[in-house]
Amino acid sequence: MPTAPATTTVEDVLAFLAAALGTEVGPDDDYFATGLADSLFALELVTFVEHRFQLTVEAEDLALDNFRTAAHIMAFAQARGGAAAS
Amino acid sequence: MAPATALNAVALHQPDGVLPVAELPGLDQLGEAERETCAQLGIDEVHADDSLSAFELAAQAAQRALAEAGLAADDMGALILIDSRAPETLMSSAVTRLQALLGAQRAVTFSVGGLGCVSLTPALLAARGLLAADPDLEHVLVAHGSKPPTPQRYRHPVTVSGDGGAAAVISRSGPVRILDIVQETNGDYWDLFHVDYRDRPTDRWREECGDLPAYSFKLAVETRNRLRALYQRLLDRNRLGPQDIDCHLSHNLSLGAFRFTEESLGIKISTTCFDNLRQYGHLGPNDVLLNLCTELERGGLEDGQRAVLLSSSPAAAWSLLLVEIGDGAAPHYL
Repeated sequence: MPTAPATTTVEDVLAFLAAALGTEVGPDDDYFATGLADSLFALELVTFVEHRFQLTVEAEDLALDNFRTAAHIMAFAQARGGAAAS
Repeated sequence: MAPATALNAVALHQPDGVLPVAELPGLDQLGEAERETCAQLGIDEVHADDSLSAFELAAQAAQRALAEAGLAADDMGALILIDSRAPETLMSSAVTRLQALLGAQRAVTFSVGGLGCVSLTPALLAARGLLAADPDLEHVLVAHGSKPPTPQRYRHPVTVSGDGGAAAVISRSGPVRILDIVQETNGDYWDLFHVDYRDRPTDRWREECGDLPAYSFKLAVETRNRLRALYQRLLDRNRLGPQDIDCHLSHNLSLGAFRFTEESLGIKISTTCFDNLRQYGHLGPNDVLLNLCTELERGGLEDGQRAVLLSSSPAAAWSLLLVEIGDGAAPHYL
């Protein structure tokens, strides 16, 4: 199975999350459960994932479990065979 | 090609009473985070009058729309009332009450609803269908009174609702032609927001979101995807490109919602919507009619120009209306 690109690490995802949420989060922190996420953040998050991993998030991908932590995002991208962003 | 349908006249009725958002009922019962969200919606105040029911707001607007069109109630071939959020009584018929009040005795009369702030769209679809199907029917009156179902006007984390009526006379010709209508729904979200009302006094009714993460994430991303697909379909089937749309008018929920729509579609929402949001808050299905009227009054749309009116609802429903100003006689240089 294709893996998430070596150029996109969980640290990259965490850096994005810190900027978008305005606070540092860990790889397993559930920012939806803590109420940090709103719909604009959701839009930014999905746009980031699509751009960074060069994939399209379809309706069937929209389970919150795919996006609720940085670790889950990495696993989702690996499962979808996301490519490295240039 | 869809049969010719036009907004012949649109009228609004806003109560005189103004309620600053800082003085909303129940604000002091909210947590700090909720109060902060409410303060950042981009709504300064709403018009509100507890002595006016949703029915009375609709009726006032309906009478104004008839006067604006220069028509009598008896000229209406159909009357469509968009259901209020909470009926005054169960079993009774608000729409035939409106029929009697107006004297629209000849009108085919019924109500539509069920799609929250998208409920204007089924009313327009029904009006267009009636005008297409019955050559003897010339005018359809559509009306709605918008009033939140609960004493607390703040719906966390979405918007603050005001009071207001709106009505439109739909005819085969008029100053704003309805070129196309698209609508989609997803029943997975049918009770995402709800008000439990049985066996509890009115002052304990609350607009509650059953699954805030689902609203903030799943529905948000689905809304982006749906709006993008609907917008593209609307343009494609009318052989238009984004450059052919002169104005985008949204329903009024919050500054965040405007930004969300702008980023989703790569468009700019008219500043008219921001202004109306600030002083009227959210008026349900009436938002886009209010915004269209204000845009026209300000001279923001001229003959031959086109606007897209966008609405979405957590019900969940999405709709886009494509309208063109003028009777179609203005030349286009496509």
